[in-house]
Amino acid sequence: MIMTHPGLPEPWGYLVWAFMLLLGLWSLTAKVPQQLQRRTLNLNDFWLTRPLLRFMLHSPWPLRLLKLVVVGLFLLVIVAGLYGTPIAGRNLATVLTWNIWWAGLIVSIFFLGSAWCAVCPWDTLASWMVRPRLWFGKINNSLDLKVPRYLRSVWPALLMFIGLTWLELGVGVTTSPYATALLSLLMIVLATLAMALFRNKAFCRYICPVGRTVGFYSQLAPVELRPIDTDICAACTTLECYNGSDSVDPCPTQLVMGTLSQNTYCTSCGNCVRSCPQENVSWRLRPPSYEAVADARPHWDEAWFMLGLLALTAFHGLTMMPFWEQWMTALAQQIGDSGQLLTSFSIGLIISLLLPVLLYALTIFVLQRLNGSKVGFRKLFTGMVFITLPLAFAYHLAHNLNHLVREGVGLAAMFLNPLGTGLEPLSMAEKHQRHFDMLISQDLLFTIQGLLMMFGFWIAIKVLRHRGQRLLPSAGWRLLPVLLFIILVNAFHLWLLMQPMIMRM
Amino acid sequence: MCFMRNLKNIFQQVVFLFFTLLLSANSFAHHVLGRPAYSLNEDSNTPPSMQVETQIGNYFVTYMIFPAFPKPGEKGRINIYASRIDSGDTLASPITFLVRDGGWFADKTEEQLGTQDVYDGVYRQGFVFKEKGSYIITAKFEADGEPYSIDFPLQIGESSSMIPIGIALGSIVLLLVVVNIVQRKRLMREKILDSRSPS
Repeated sequence: MIMTHPGLPEPWGYLVWAFMLLLGLWSLTAKVPQQLQRRTLNLNDFWLTRPLLRFMLHSPWPLRLLKLVVVGLFLLVIVAGLYGTPIAGRNLATVLTWNIWWAGLIVSIFFLGSAWCAVCPWDTLASWMVRPRLWFGKINNSLDLKVPRYLRSVWPALLMFIGLTWLELGVGVTTSPYATALLSLLMIVLATLAMALFRNKAFCRYICPVGRTVGFYSQLAPVELRPIDTDICAACTTLECYNGSDSVDPCPTQLVMGTLSQNTYCTSCGNCVRSCPQENVSWRLRPPSYEAVADARPHWDEAWFMLGLLALTAFHGLTMMPFWEQWMTALAQQIGDSGQLLTSFSIGLIISLLLPVLLYALTIFVLQRLNGSKVGFRKLFTGMVFITLPLAFAYHLAHNLNHLVREGVGLAAMFLNPLGTGLEPLSMAEKHQRHFDMLISQDLLFTIQGLLMMFGFWIAIKVLRHRGQRLLPSAGWRLLPVLLFIILVNAFHLWLLMQPMIMRM
Repeated sequence: MCFMRNLKNIFQQVVFLFFTLLLSANSFAHHVLGRPAYSLNEDSNTPPSMQVETQIGNYFVTYMIFPAFPKPGEKGRINIYASRIDSGDTLASPITFLVRDGGWFADKTEEQLGTQDVYDGVYRQGFVFKEKGSYIITAKFEADGEPYSIDFPLQIGESSSMIPIGIALGSIVLLLVVVNIVQRKRLMREKILDSRSPS
């Protein structure tokens, strides 16, 4: 028997629709302000956060301790996956990895940006093996080669993300503790290989699908690491943030703090905070839309990654709908697919990737035609793509919250028997109990989901208005194709959220 | 012109993605099986069972193993339920069960476990394995004049968990050793060049 989570109730659907229509109409008529008001709050200025930040960032030990805890959990996942019960719902490997971490990671970005990358166990283990810092000094087991030009993009990360989705939803790694452990081992090997071959952290910057997803979504995070006084950075000639110092490593993704304008490649490691001799780097709060609206610079490969995020996020939701299996069954019969129906699944994945991309390309084509081809297609394609980021992020958050709140129950008890030794599969009574025993009330969950859908739409409209104004200053109502694209995508996400969703395990 | 060049660029990227995915799909599609699920039958005293649901041609096939985690020397049973996707009619022709070692480098010779007729909508095949290991069970039958063959995994005893750890650790150690050797050679070369160059 397939168990499903209830979808967002209809009244919420109507409410979000009404919000979208009103805001959409307003965006076509209201004048766009010429300049964005930039308001940020330096967390070092607050008596409450200052000591905490000093404690966390000025000594390497708090971060080391956190890394140690995360690595310990990660190794426990591998041990539980390899030696524990194959019953997914009873094994810590699958529950912690897919129900808690994978679902909670996206939620963490909403509050903490790319903080996960600072404690990532893949990178930590690779660093301990390749570039360990010991009591007698630093050992370097890396060839420190320059990353080849053809790899210096986020294409490898996009391909890895597609591969990970294929493994997760097609092969069903999420329901196999053993496969989860194998995937974890594979990620360590890849991270170590990249670090042993290339200088800095090429894996984090170009290859890691999780790191890049976190990075792009962090454009919408309310926190950022930035210089306190840009004049000090302008006068700096030593660039410790970029080069490192005797006791602190250089920036792992080669960012120069003085020119940093977006979170995309920042791993929140805090090296820049510790290495800056002027103590000129700090965390600060900001409105979550600045970067996508104004600061982030458009790049061709990054545009494709953002479109990939949009497509794969919706695809995740689609595969958890009860009708997805019926579609796959029908397709498999047509093409003679059998077994796990992986060919049918792959075709479904390809179509799901192509549809939003083609729709977006068509939107940009129409936009260009409507505006008399003053701006090149490529410039519009990369410049406008930031509208997809809040749409994907909001839906991803709303979808993952469902998993986290409904399937994250009982984790504490799992730590008492992480391998699930001697445990029987979940009984129907237990499944039902978990189904109703949620971390927060269902009404609150629906409210958050509804608000998230509005939030995503609102930010996308802001991006459209400001980026549209900059790219096509006299466009006005001619931005309508992009507005329709935003409404269509958000409406589709809303519809997905309103459907019953199959439980993960 | 610029638009056409960009469109061509997009098309190239899409084609690249398409073939990357298609190749990865084909390399796994033949022997990848349905996802196992473990369940407890609360209406009886039977131990938990493993169940795999899959589809082949016009048939839905459900395969169950009792017990869910069979051990060497322990009696077990395979139940197969096969019904037409369109009408739900149960398959009537006999099913032949074969077994082979599922290891990557193992001998692929098949042995016949038995041929079973349907009884009350179920095909039942008993088994006892003396040695632990990963086996592949093949169920063969004929329907509508077409031969059908489905592979299912069967794990007897616990799987060997040292192999993946060994491979991961081995490859990392090998990598670090190779990098170390290359680095040493690099240093030596630099020293030699330094000593040769006029000061």
